[in-house]
Amino acid sequence: MKISVTRRLMIPAAAVGALLILMMPAMPLLAAAPAAAPGTAWWVWVLALFVFSFVLGIVAVLAGVGGGVLYVPIVSSFFPFHLDFVRGAGLLVALAGALSAGPPLMRKGLADLKLGLPMALVGSISSIAGALVGLAMPAQNVQLLLGIVIISIAAIMIKAGKSGYPEVTKPDRLSQLLQISGLYYEEFGQHEVSWRVHRTPVGLLLFFVIGFIGGMFGLGAGFANVPVFNLLMGVPLKVAVATSGLVLSINGSAAAWVYLFKGAVLPLIAVPSIGGMMLGSKIGAKLLPKVNTRTIRLIVITILALSGFRSLLKGLGI
Amino acid sequence: MTDKKREGGYADRVQLAYAKTLDYVAHSVIIVMAVGYLLYLTELLPLTVPIETIAGNWHLSSAHLQAKLNLPCGWECFTSPAGLFHGDIASYISVIFLSLATLICLASAVTVFISEKKHLYSAIATLQVIVLLVAASGIMSGGH
Repeated sequence: MKISVTRRLMIPAAAVGALLILMMPAMPLLAAAPAAAPGTAWWVWVLALFVFSFVLGIVAVLAGVGGGVLYVPIVSSFFPFHLDFVRGAGLLVALAGALSAGPPLMRKGLADLKLGLPMALVGSISSIAGALVGLAMPAQNVQLLLGIVIISIAAIMIKAGKSGYPEVTKPDRLSQLLQISGLYYEEFGQHEVSWRVHRTPVGLLLFFVIGFIGGMFGLGAGFANVPVFNLLMGVPLKVAVATSGLVLSINGSAAAWVYLFKGAVLPLIAVPSIGGMMLGSKIGAKLLPKVNTRTIRLIVITILALSGFRSLLKGLGI
Repeated sequence: MTDKKREGGYADRVQLAYAKTLDYVAHSVIIVMAVGYLLYLTELLPLTVPIETIAGNWHLSSAHLQAKLNLPCGWECFTSPAGLFHGDIASYISVIFLSLATLICLASAVTVFISEKKHLYSAIATLQVIVLLVAASGIMSGGH
């Protein structure tokens, strides 16, 4: 059935509009008293968080970005929770999303263990380190750095290209030693795609850095995993996206323990976020073929940049 | 070729084992989390710390909140003097289960790698399991 242009534009506009409306009531409350938010019952915040995460889940899928990377800057900017708990919940949100999407991608050979495991091994070690450093730093400094990182991510999202089937003329020695290569069935074009990789040592180094950032700020790191796999190492886009989820689940799990042991996970905040995001992601996946994703991606990147800017201002005490 | 056969054809044994374990674990996590949170919010089980108290202090850093409320961290929820049968503890345990999910899947992958005598990946996956076990032990985080 042909979808009209109006309908293609209406759905993303409604989703993003809902996101903006949900952000608005929190602003005056926070501006007045971010600490206590007097007069607002706890369940209002929990319900708002659930609904917000639900809408975020829809928008994240439509925009092709990870929920975790949107969750932390926006929730830390517009909800009264301390950044520690937002980062703890953000990691769990990213972890839960990656886990629930994992099984079909593994069965289709899109999420590849031989590609993901070496990267996750270095990334998980650095994500533990990142989480420890992040929780040891004063919140204001973390908020400032978060702002810088989020604005940089928004810039990467605008600038970074993508390549469906990158050409790898000569695999590097390390990838040959690790036997990193694969074959999958491309349903869109109905043909088999075989792939191999290059620049594996540089990739490992970058996954170490990405893991550290992910652990420090409680972000899902799909925004960085995918370009490193795809543009640097020459992994086909679909394999890059799917394997990024595998890496993210391992790194997120490692860093989540640090947050759990440091008391930075409150189920009251984390569980509705996870539930809302997972439900929203399922709806988003169903809406995906019906909407103009380019428009919504641009709007979401703008929101991301704005929340990064707000984090920056909060970090500067403005 | 059916989709089912096609899927299996492009994933090796270890991938399929990982996917099968992940499927079970992911579904179990969702159920456990939903039940735990229901017990927490409805107060069907008593709470160790009232929700209003948590909400009144969630603007504090984790260190300050711990100093003030002494909430269980990591595995402490299993040894809490208050006991396991509390709504907030049940919800916390569901979060621990979520954090263990990847470890369980990797353990299944290690057994297949070993049975297939893929020594290099047996070693890498085992190292990964060790990293997660160290994280889960709380040694790195100064946990108990």
